[in-house]
Parts: sequence; C-alpha cells; structure tokens
Amino acid sequence: MSISTLLENYSEFRHFHPVDDVPHNPYKWAMSIDLDACSGCNACSVACYAENNLPVVGREKYLHGQAMHWMRIERYWDEDGREFPDQGAQFLPMMCQQCEAAPCETVCPVGATNHTPDGINSQIYNRCIGSRYCSANCPYKVRYFNWYDYPTTDNVWPAEMNQQLNPDVTVRGKGVMEKCTFCIQRVTVAKNNAKSEGRLVHDGEVQTACQQACPTSAISFGNLVDPESRVHKQWQVQKVELDKDAQTKDKEEGGSDLRGYRILEELRPYPSVMYLERVRETAI
Amino acid sequence: MHRFLRLSVLLMGLFAAVGSYAVDAPQSEPVDPGIEGSAIDKSAKEKSDSGGSALSTWESKYFGLGSEGEDDNVGPAVEQPIEFPHFRHAGDADKGGMEINCMYCHTYARRSLVAGIPPVQKCIGCHQNIESVRDKPRIKKLFEYWDAKKAIPWKKVHDLPDFVRFSHERHVKRFIFQLNRPVQEVCGYCHGEVKTMTVARRQKLLSMGFCVTCHEKDHPVTAEGGTPIGDQAYWYSMRKPLIDASGIIKAKGPNDCSVCHK
Repeated sequence: MSISTLLENYSEFRHFHPVDDVPHNPYKWAMSIDLDACSGCNACSVACYAENNLPVVGREKYLHGQAMHWMRIERYWDEDGREFPDQGAQFLPMMCQQCEAAPCETVCPVGATNHTPDGINSQIYNRCIGSRYCSANCPYKVRYFNWYDYPTTDNVWPAEMNQQLNPDVTVRGKGVMEKCTFCIQRVTVAKNNAKSEGRLVHDGEVQTACQQACPTSAISFGNLVDPESRVHKQWQVQKVELDKDAQTKDKEEGGSDLRGYRILEELRPYPSVMYLERVRETAI
Repeated sequence: MHRFLRLSVLLMGLFAAVGSYAVDAPQSEPVDPGIEGSAIDKSAKEKSDSGGSALSTWESKYFGLGSEGEDDNVGPAVEQPIEFPHFRHAGDADKGGMEINCMYCHTYARRSLVAGIPPVQKCIGCHQNIESVRDKPRIKKLFEYWDAKKAIPWKKVHDLPDFVRFSHERHVKRFIFQLNRPVQEVCGYCHGEVKTMTVARRQKLLSMGFCVTCHEKDHPVTAEGGTPIGDQAYWYSMRKPLIDASGIIKAKGPNDCSVCHK
C-alpha cells in the first residue's frame, strides 16, 4: 500500500468483517439497547460483575480510573438550570461495541484480540502481553487493564467469596487487558447444544448477563443474520445497516422518526450495538 | 578493558548455565511405577541415552511425532486410592482384558464437557455379581468404600489449564458417531494407550501445539456408517470444507482462539 493510497482512499483498503469468502453465516451476534427503557439502575453492570469475575476495586482505585466495569452506565446531566435533586440526567449503558472493523484488533502486537467468524471481538487473556495499545486505540474506551493481581489482592474475592466465581470465565491476572465479550461463554454453550441437536441457535436461547438482569428489558441480544430474531427486526425497522457509516436516519432532512443509531459511527469501526434514542422527557 | 571484562563475565555465565543444565538433565528422567507397559518408557530412555538427534527428541516430546509408543512425555504417576486396572477392564481380550467400552464407565463423555468418573455404584453394579475376584485386595477396598457409603477420592490425571475449554462431547460426537471410528482409538488420540495401563497416566502432552497438530489436518466430514450431517449447523465452526480428487469432503477443525480459550 503506497502512501498516496493511505492518504486518499484508505477506507477502501481497510480490513473489516465479514471478509469476502467468509460471510457471517450462520451467526452474527449483535445487540440493541433501548435508551427510552433504560432507567440507569446499574443492574446490568452488577450482573456483569457477577457473571464475568470482575474485581471490585474499591473507592481509591475507582477514583484513579481503574474500575473494571465492562458494562458501565454513562451519565449525562441535563444542563437546564435545575440543581441536583431536581436535575434530570440521561443514561447510556456502554460496553464493548464488538466493532466489525475493530481499531483494537489491528494494533495488538500478539494477536490476542481478534474477530471470530460469528462477529464477536474476542479477547484471549493468556495470549495478552499487556501492551495496552488496544485500549489506546479504542474510541469507546471500554477496555480495562489489570494493573493489580486482583485474585490475590485483599478484599476482591476474600475466602469463600471465590466460590461464586464463574468457572467458565478465566480469572484474569496482572498485566492482562479485558473487555466485554458478549458473554461468549453463554454463546458457546448455546451453540454447542444447538450443534448436538443439528439445528441453529434459536432467538432468545442465549441471553447476555446484562440483558437477563435488565428490569425494563432495554437490552436485546441475538443473531443479526436470523431474520426471525428480535435484534434483526429492530435493526431492520430502524434501517440501521451493519456495513454503513451513515444510516437513513442521518440523511433525512429536518429530523426523523427513526430512533436507531450507533455511537461514533462516522469513525467507521462498524459497531455491532445499536442504541435507540430516547423519546420521553428526562427522568428526575 | 571494560568491554573485555563484560565479555568474560558473559562467557562465564554461559558456561555455568550449560554446566548446571547438564548436571540437571539426567535427574529429570521420569520415574514410572504404575504403567503396565513399561517397555514404552524403556525404549524412550534408550532412545534418549543413545543420543538421538536433539530435534527428533524435541519433536517427539512436544508433538508426539515419534513412532507409536515412543513418547517420553508421560505425566507424573498419580497415586490413586485404588489401583484401578484399566488393562483388565478395557484391554484387548487376548491380553486378559474385557474390552469394555470406555463410555460404559466414563459415561458423560458423549454428552458433556467432561468425561466423568463413575460413581461407586457403577463399580458395585458389576462387582457384586463377580464372586471370583471378591477377595482380591482392590475389590475389598472397593467394598469398604461402598459399605462406608463414601465416594472414592479419585485424583485427576488429565488436567487442562483453567483457561482452556475442552469439550469431550464435541470430539466424541465427531469421531465416534460421525466418522464411525472405534471408541478406544478415538479416546486414545488424547489419552494414549489407557487399555494397557493399570492406573491411568498422561501419555500425550495435551499442549496447544498438540491440539493444533490435529486441528490442522483435513478430516473427512463424514464417513461410511457414520451419522450423516443433516444441517449446515453441524460443521459451521469448521473451516471451509474442501472436496479432494476422490470426491471426499474434508474439513479442518476449528482454529478460532475463542473456541478453546475462555
């Protein structure tokens, strides 16, 4: 690739999934999050901590920005002049967007993070050497680094608490990058069961931990390739397409009835998570 | 002068390292009570003593590429509460074995991630009707556990690291039911010649390299007598299948990191 190509039309040469001869078939895992339903209760985050063996780092490390919340609720205060108890806020659950042209994948020096054929951006912990390039290159800042050896650090999983660790997920050691995996351990189980019965995974057969815990069912997760799946229908209704960097909604003059959008789409990471804009007034 | 000093220190260090390695080397020979066919280890020892080429030793150690039964990479001898004679139960009939299907006792292999250790009940189920061996010390011990209503504390022999997800079910379904291969052969791909052992012992390396050597091979997608593949769903995780000159559809095993690493 010459330098002129790089400067002029890099997007044509940029590698993204699915690659020509390996289409997303039969699976492409995707998500949609209805911000109108989200009340910012943090149940998804808690469920994620429980499911994925995330260490609770404590106040001091949290203030240093070392929290390991794969699923975090971003809070945006309303700037309408009202003071705190009356001030409204908007909430946005943010986790790894499982980009199809993931910026993190291209910079990993050891290939510890890469794309699976079913469209998940996988992170292989025992391959990771902790260069942290991926985190630097992630536009969503959803990669978390183990600065401490949490399994042996006090108060993270004191004796007996370690009994509740999920055996299907590795307990990460010091110097390893980690991130949301779309609960790949659950996906694997569902796929295994389906395979044994000679069928494909049904819609709703696999739930992510955050989806399962969400009291308002704001999160839906499923197979984007399956035309019967809830996620596919939502994406279709909102006219959001996986391999576009601008959707129908953006092109419509003077506002649109469509609510679906993807965060930082214009950077062309082609994320797999669609958000549905909020319609209602700010909750107080 | 300074540079010369540095070089000499480096050289001394090198010699010391090589020397200590040479001293350590003979001690790392495996000691092995418990394997019935100890000829395996003898031949392996002879091979390493006669100073076979370093590369071939290394290859046979890490990839099991040596000829059949020449692996010197056996796992540690695990002391079990009862010296279970695998060769008697699963061994060939002409060597005094019963040729019992592995999955008669390790019954979960075909439907779960783990093969499972049979409960005492399973042993008793047969042995209460076998009077001829009732007074043998191992059987007496077995009945002690049965009478005390206690599980036998078997120890794990084939232990994979915690970050690896291995499914017995998938491999059993693929090789035994799909490709219609004999059970003991299929189990032996990873577990070695258990049918010649008393207490089972790890014979294969079970490293990532070991797994990959097999996943890189073209295996026929289905075989005569095997369960035909109904849906594409069965082999989507395999790599793109190829049709060779004889018309047999072959595919490689899955090579995606996240399939095995969790």
